Amino acid sequence: MSYIHFPIIAVMLLFLAAFLVVIFGTRRKNLRRIIAMTAAVISFGLIFYLIKPVMFDGEIISYWMGNWQPVEGYAIGIGYEIDALNLFFALLVSFTTLFSGWYSLRYMERDDYLDRYYTLYLMLSGAVLGLVLTGDLFNMFVMIEIMTFAAVALTAFRNWTAGALEASFKYLVVGSAGSSFVLAGVILIYAQCHTLNMAQISSILAGNEGLTPTTVLAFGLLFAGFGVKSYIVPFHPTAADAYTAAPSSVSMLFSGMVNKAGVYAMIRLTYVIFRAMDISAVQCLLVLLGCVTMFVGVTMALAQHDFKRLLAFHSISQIGYVITAIGLGTALGLSGGLFHAMNHTLFKGLLFLCAGAVFYAAGTTNLDKLGGLSKKMPKTTAIFLIGAFSISGLPPFNGFASKWMIYQATYEKAVTTNNIGYAFVTVVALIVSVMTLASFIKVTQSVFFGQLKAECAEVKEVPLSMRIPMWIMAGICLLSGVFYNKVIDWLLNPAVAAAINVSNYIDKMMGDGYAAAAGIRNLEIQGATLSFWNPLMWLALFVVVFFAVGIVIVTGKRSRGQVLTEGEEPQAKYDAFFGGEKALPSHVAGGDLFWGFKQNWKGYFRFMQRAHSGIVNDYALWAVAATAVFIVYLFIFVH
Amino acid sequence: MEILFAILRILFFPGLLFVAVGGLLLSGIDRKVLSRMQRRVGPPIVQPFYDFFKLMGKETIIPHHANRTVYLWAPVVGMVSLAVTMLFIPICGFSAFSGTADLLVVLYLLTIPAVCLIVGGSASGSPFAGVGISREMVAMMSYELPLVLVLLSVARQVGSLSLQDIAAYQAANGCLLFHWSMIPAALAMLLVIPAEAGCHPFDVAEAETEICEGPLAEYSGAPLGVFKLNHAMKLFVLTALFCALFLGGITSGIAPVDVLIVFALCAVVMIVCVTLLHGICARLRVEQVFKFYWTVVTGLALVSLILAWFGL
Repeated sequence: MSYIHFPIIAVMLLFLAAFLVVIFGTRRKNLRRIIAMTAAVISFGLIFYLIKPVMFDGEIISYWMGNWQPVEGYAIGIGYEIDALNLFFALLVSFTTLFSGWYSLRYMERDDYLDRYYTLYLMLSGAVLGLVLTGDLFNMFVMIEIMTFAAVALTAFRNWTAGALEASFKYLVVGSAGSSFVLAGVILIYAQCHTLNMAQISSILAGNEGLTPTTVLAFGLLFAGFGVKSYIVPFHPTAADAYTAAPSSVSMLFSGMVNKAGVYAMIRLTYVIFRAMDISAVQCLLVLLGCVTMFVGVTMALAQHDFKRLLAFHSISQIGYVITAIGLGTALGLSGGLFHAMNHTLFKGLLFLCAGAVFYAAGTTNLDKLGGLSKKMPKTTAIFLIGAFSISGLPPFNGFASKWMIYQATYEKAVTTNNIGYAFVTVVALIVSVMTLASFIKVTQSVFFGQLKAECAEVKEVPLSMRIPMWIMAGICLLSGVFYNKVIDWLLNPAVAAAINVSNYIDKMMGDGYAAAAGIRNLEIQGATLSFWNPLMWLALFVVVFFAVGIVIVTGKRSRGQVLTEGEEPQAKYDAFFGGEKALPSHVAGGDLFWGFKQNWKGYFRFMQRAHSGIVNDYALWAVAATAVFIVYLFIFVH
Repeated sequence: MEILFAILRILFFPGLLFVAVGGLLLSGIDRKVLSRMQRRVGPPIVQPFYDFFKLMGKETIIPHHANRTVYLWAPVVGMVSLAVTMLFIPICGFSAFSGTADLLVVLYLLTIPAVCLIVGGSASGSPFAGVGISREMVAMMSYELPLVLVLLSVARQVGSLSLQDIAAYQAANGCLLFHWSMIPAALAMLLVIPAEAGCHPFDVAEAETEICEGPLAEYSGAPLGVFKLNHAMKLFVLTALFCALFLGGITSGIAPVDVLIVFALCAVVMIVCVTLLHGICARLRVEQVFKFYWTVVTGLALVSLILAWFGL
């Protein structure tokens, strides 16, 4: 069987398994696990197999469903089209699906109604995979709908917890608003171009019709709709609630693939369908939204008291980086953005799994109630630290490589356009990175270090079957940071080339010469080559010295800490220092940290607290108002 | 062979050993000059070496609240990353590794020692350390903004983010310090150094008189010694970075003499920005530090960036 059938099989398998779980898996616990995991593994395998032909050999796979080929130059059937850009996102999606499923086998075992969980999980995964693989705009809308409703139901899965139903209701309202924008945009495009095939729309819009008021309106609506799906500010508050209320494995799905789907749709819209990235107004809009998103996300994260809520706001903030980077419209910027999207899938998934492990072990994710867990869960602590260092962008982890590319791209953009505004984008990105670090220090101190809380005395390390997926992801975080050049060569450069040079994409779908007839030509693009330093050598030497010095100190002192034998009094010198007083249990956690910073910014935080009122009417109003603003902005500056 | 040379560079010059010895000497000079400012005789210049070796021989107590692994390894990671940072900073035109955009890498590498201090303090489980790491993090957020602006304004002036290019530019055009649009940035950098190195009056994190050295409250023996060494090394790395950014191009052509010149410049920079401030200022509160850096110092750096941007 030829591999051109692989994408559709990968999507169909997930949907098929969703139905099989309902039919056969309601009572049989193991059977439904087997069905779900088989589908996830095969789907990942099929997508992974496509790396060779699509990424390395530069092939583009086009697949007309039911073999409905275009008639008289118009695409009438649904077509799947896989170029390096979709495949990049499809890899992220199927990877997240696989690891989240693997983790939930054990993590979700204490919940009831697991047949529904696996059904919804498979529906969500299938929908997102279909969304990124399809070449048809209306099919994309359908997948967005399935994705939204599966996500809403999964948000409310633990409906006995406080806020789960509320969060899913908010998600439903704002998510439906987003879907409606997408639908309205699709309708306008269809009215204008008489086709729903994205490749054909791209070539029609490039022709003499170009940007008419109708297409600009459609662009604004689609832009806002995809913005809702990627949770950029001001569409973000529902995301924070949903990520917090959903089980951690589902939060990982949300941050790992649902908002990546929004980002993918955004790239497809701006780079391919409208090819609007030459317009500086669109660049400015994306970069501005990205900066606001990353800044609001990270400052809100600093103020949180819940582990998962904090991670949720970080997801928003990191998507801000991605949007900023893709908004630059340069090859380096786009590769930085894609790399960061990939890294975000890895490290944020990892961190959500850590939060899940803490919840599994301690029963809460409230930062003010936890403390000192590193004594009880040393392995989870190590994994968490890797994730935290990656997201904070410390070398040599992957967050550093992608953030470095983003800084470089923004600065380069500032120099080439001679616009000092882009230099400030670099500054904002760097400061947001420091604040990211700060909020993860907060989690580290509140949850893992410090003194063990009495309530946490009975906590045990999570089972190995939950730790294995976490270790694998942590390993990939390190490897993709060290071998970043391989990632760039194998995955990013083909994806960037596919996004910027759309004529191959159009020709493959509509026949050779179609793009050239519409006046679309390939550009020479410089693949991102980075030679800033050689982290491999650096790492090797780091390891040498590290071990040399570490061994000298650690073994040389033979210091084992307090070892109590039977009947021996604990020695006072091993107690926490209390200025000579008797040591009392005391833990500096969550809300106690970063007073000096919050004091200076109290006006800002008060404003943000008022703005995030928790009332869904407000959020829906924000969404609609923001959409109106986008449309007005585009009408003023683009047309 | 190349790897062997790289290891030699990392371990001896301009890596670990060089930075350690240089840093401890700078620290000794700091103490001597400070005591003279306060009309004391002061310790001998090699006193920091004595202190370091004394601490290495002391018993290491690991408190039972501590996470043993992190507690012991945090100082070592900090030390190694400081040594690695030095490899990127050109000393009289020579740097072990070079590339296209070392400035941002240096910026990131410089955060690692602070992160190690924070994580190590956090792992020790002391409430004093809890307060200390919170303050250290706020201090870090304070100085990072002006530091980024300083680096970007220098990069704009030179037209490159590479430290090699900065050195080459200064060799051709004279020190950046004497270029008038760079003077505010140099002042800002001078103010960033004491905060980044955790020196008085910006040592809110360690504040011995308030929170018993904060993150270091529970540290003893060899790990404490390494942390003290990190502090000294950081002084040297930061002043060397200042020299590379603003005082480059002063060479005699003879390599050993150049190293001495750079070291002397570092000592002068340190006396101006660390010792002098220590001698005349009282410690600020943490929110005052934050405000000071985000208004005055950021303002200075911003002026430079704007001037440099428009080619003035």
